[in-house]
Amino acid sequence: KGITTAAVCVYPARVCDAVKALKAAGCSIPVAAVATGFPAGQTHLKTRLEEIRLAVEDGATEIDVVINRTLVLTGQWEALYDEIRQFRKACGEAHLKTILATGELGPLTNVYKASLIAMMAGSDFIKTSTGKETVNATFPVAIVMLRAIRDFFWKTGNKVGFKPAGGIRTAKDSLAWLSLIKEELGDEWLTPELFRIGASSLLSDIERQIYHHVTGRYAAYHDLPMS
Amino acid sequence: MAATGVGSRARDIFTALEYGPVPESHACALAWLDTHNRLLGHYVGGEWLKPEHRNAVSCRDPITGENLANCLQAQGEDVAAAVEAARTAFKAWSQLPGATRARYLTQLAKVILMHQRLLWTLESLVTGRAVREVRDGDVPLAQQLLQYHAVQAHAQEKALAGWEPRGVIGLILSPPFSFLDMMWRVCPALAMGCTVVALVPPASPTPLLLAQLAGELSPVPGILNVMCGPALLGPALASEPGVQKVAFCGAVEGGLRLLIQESVWDETVQRIQARMGRLRSGRGLDGAVDMGARGATAQDLAQHYVHEAQSQGGQVFQAGDVPSDSPFFSPTLVFGLPPAAPCAQAEVPWPVVMASPFRTAKEALALANGMPRGGSASVWSERLGQALELGYGLRVGTVWINAHGLRDPVVPTGGCKESGSSWHGGQDGLYEYLQPSGTPARLPFLCESLNYDTFGLVVPSTVPSGPETGPSPAPPYGLFIGGRFQPPGGRSSRPIQDSSGNLHYVAEGGVKDIRGAVEAAHQAAPGWGMQSPRARASLLWALAAALQRRDTALASRLERHGSEPKAAKAEVEVSVRRLQMWGTQLQDQGHTLQVAGLRGPVLRLREPLGVLAVVCPDEWPLLAFVSLLAPALAHGNAVVLVPSGTCPLLALEICQDVATLFPAGLVNVVTGDQDHLTRCLALHQDIQALWYFGSAQGSQFVEWASAGNLKPVWVNRGFPRAWDEEAEGAGSELSLHAARTKALWLPMGD
Repeated sequence: KGITTAAVCVYPARVCDAVKALKAAGCSIPVAAVATGFPAGQTHLKTRLEEIRLAVEDGATEIDVVINRTLVLTGQWEALYDEIRQFRKACGEAHLKTILATGELGPLTNVYKASLIAMMAGSDFIKTSTGKETVNATFPVAIVMLRAIRDFFWKTGNKVGFKPAGGIRTAKDSLAWLSLIKEELGDEWLTPELFRIGASSLLSDIERQIYHHVTGRYAAYHDLPMS
Repeated sequence: MAATGVGSRARDIFTALEYGPVPESHACALAWLDTHNRLLGHYVGGEWLKPEHRNAVSCRDPITGENLANCLQAQGEDVAAAVEAARTAFKAWSQLPGATRARYLTQLAKVILMHQRLLWTLESLVTGRAVREVRDGDVPLAQQLLQYHAVQAHAQEKALAGWEPRGVIGLILSPPFSFLDMMWRVCPALAMGCTVVALVPPASPTPLLLAQLAGELSPVPGILNVMCGPALLGPALASEPGVQKVAFCGAVEGGLRLLIQESVWDETVQRIQARMGRLRSGRGLDGAVDMGARGATAQDLAQHYVHEAQSQGGQVFQAGDVPSDSPFFSPTLVFGLPPAAPCAQAEVPWPVVMASPFRTAKEALALANGMPRGGSASVWSERLGQALELGYGLRVGTVWINAHGLRDPVVPTGGCKESGSSWHGGQDGLYEYLQPSGTPARLPFLCESLNYDTFGLVVPSTVPSGPETGPSPAPPYGLFIGGRFQPPGGRSSRPIQDSSGNLHYVAEGGVKDIRGAVEAAHQAAPGWGMQSPRARASLLWALAAALQRRDTALASRLERHGSEPKAAKAEVEVSVRRLQMWGTQLQDQGHTLQVAGLRGPVLRLREPLGVLAVVCPDEWPLLAFVSLLAPALAHGNAVVLVPSGTCPLLALEICQDVATLFPAGLVNVVTGDQDHLTRCLALHQDIQALWYFGSAQGSQFVEWASAGNLKPVWVNRGFPRAWDEEAEGAGSELSLHAARTKALWLPMGD
């Protein structure tokens, strides 16, 4: 079997098309949908929950939600927990990734608290950012979130996954991220079930690296299919 | 392109996700060693020397044991030749304008940049340290050091006017050391205009490489001379007449002592153990390892410590991915040792960490300050106030708050207690290689035949020489200790005669009195050290006013001891002014340094030494006494003074005012035989610094004896000092000696 991406992530309106296209190609890669007013999360709770349900109905098996940053910035931790519980319920069987939008949360202590709340509320993954903020996935923020994941694991035995998104463009960058996970959490987390990188142009660069490994030559962008 | 079995390998890589080895080729290091035919000589006077009939010690790879090269060992005449070369070089080098030396240092930084791969490869190969440490830490820091000191050299004529370079500096380094330790000392020395002769451990190619790079570039040959040699050659270097100062860098402990608050003990130890489990040991030159190996000696030390710790009741935890063959040693955590166990006090070797619990910050401070060493420490806490309390309270040279191991050329690094009192880096580091302009050259031995065992041991007996004469009132009889006049322990006295033939008797102080005085001073020191500058200033002014009220009595006593009336009056006036001046001068509470690459300030604090002992000169009995007392007090120290031998009465007069104004024990005056009291003070291990202004032999004894607790000393080597001149009597040199520095790092972040 070949090496593939872990999922294809699309806006809620495109889920149907994506599912159809992958089925036609005979590919079993899951479709993930962003939801809850991606990327800013500034819509009514009612519509946000409805978005999740519709995406799941259309065939998305993974949902990426954005937390309500107002609740973090005003310290309403219980309200944040309740909201994420509702997202969890709306997802049903679908895999839930909670985007913290760390660039907007202020100090790192807030990032840590938000991470723990997201995990306590039942997220399968915590994700650094939407990729649309000014500051996306940086190493300091990542270390805080990874340590939160480790603390949660030590206290409860539950493993939660991690996904950085935004600003990761080259295979070299992705190696730095892989090393970080390996150092902080260990080899058990180095699987698609527990670690994903959210990126689009990264795919081409990884393909070029594999091309080089196999043939000994550097490929041009046009030697490989567009992603 | 056919992608045959390679495709499966790519998939395996993606599945296993192991670290691949990243070996640094050491070909360039071997190539450089080949240019010397694998036999390194000495680099002296700008050229390579290979004198005949010298031993050669093999430099071995610490991991494989392979012989890399042989290093010729120096002997006595090589040392003498090197010092001669350095002396010749000094004449030219010190006369060059600072800007020229600055340009040289900048160029040397560039040379290091160009040859950095050779440098880090050679260092990692020879010492076994992880190449990442050397490449990413040591080499950039070496360049920064050169650049910082270039700036200092450039500004030297203006900023350090009144100070001149000392001369030839002898540098003795002991294993294990890194070339960076050498750079910390060589850079300020060269920048300030000194020249260097460095004696490095028997098998050290890296310093020789640096000497070659430095020498090829230098306009003056012989500014940096490096030789490998046995440790017993050190005294030979120190006693060479041309050497003005010896800088000694002892073995640096690599292990760490951790103090963990009980409430977070379990979690912290769990995290440490998890992290230790991830450490990878391997060949230093493998870029993917965290730790290398430092050779069989280091391994034995670590092994010995761990066994001792276990036999003393400690528990041991070892982990990490470590090759089982020698000389690798697993990262080790030792805990559970009772505080009185010898291993709890001993130096912790690399790669061991010794952890102990504590309950309150006060307890932590007591544990930490209870060690004989005083190098550096880091404090980890989320509460800034508490962290600062510990930071200020720790008796060390450097404190990092929520950080560890940060270094920068602009921040002085040094220590106190058994870590020694010399500094490198920052302004403090520069003064190590400077002396006030016009200081006479230093000879290593002032008195070849000085018997350290008998100097000052026996006090000549004195017999009564007649009744006391002279105008009354004389000051009370006794030693001034603990705020009052007490009779001496030895219960005898000595006569003091003035130039008119009048006779007085002063108490003969002895070793018990010194002990009492030092204890009294220690009682008073903490309180005085915590006083604000304003509080200290007001007490000094009060003393000045008291002296003013006594001015006629003091002047007439000076006249009776041979001063001209005008001179006596002037001496009293200047003394009063000096007291006021030291009170008004805003004591340098330290200032903020800006460090490149760090967000947050680094404070350079000036702290009291503790108890300062002063042996006053015979001349200028009033002025010298006051000129020494005032800065010592102004900087927050408690003092024990031995006043002028020929005229101690003036000091005793002043004590009457001290008794009413100052806290008991802050100022103690012990009269008696100067040599005997000097001996007692120099051998006392709980005095933090000693200033001696007596004879040449006394100076030599003080320097020798003070090595017992490594207290900083300031001696006059028998030369008189012009106390009436501002530069010598009230200058910055006094301030420098009266306090010690501490660097406090405060990185930002939430």
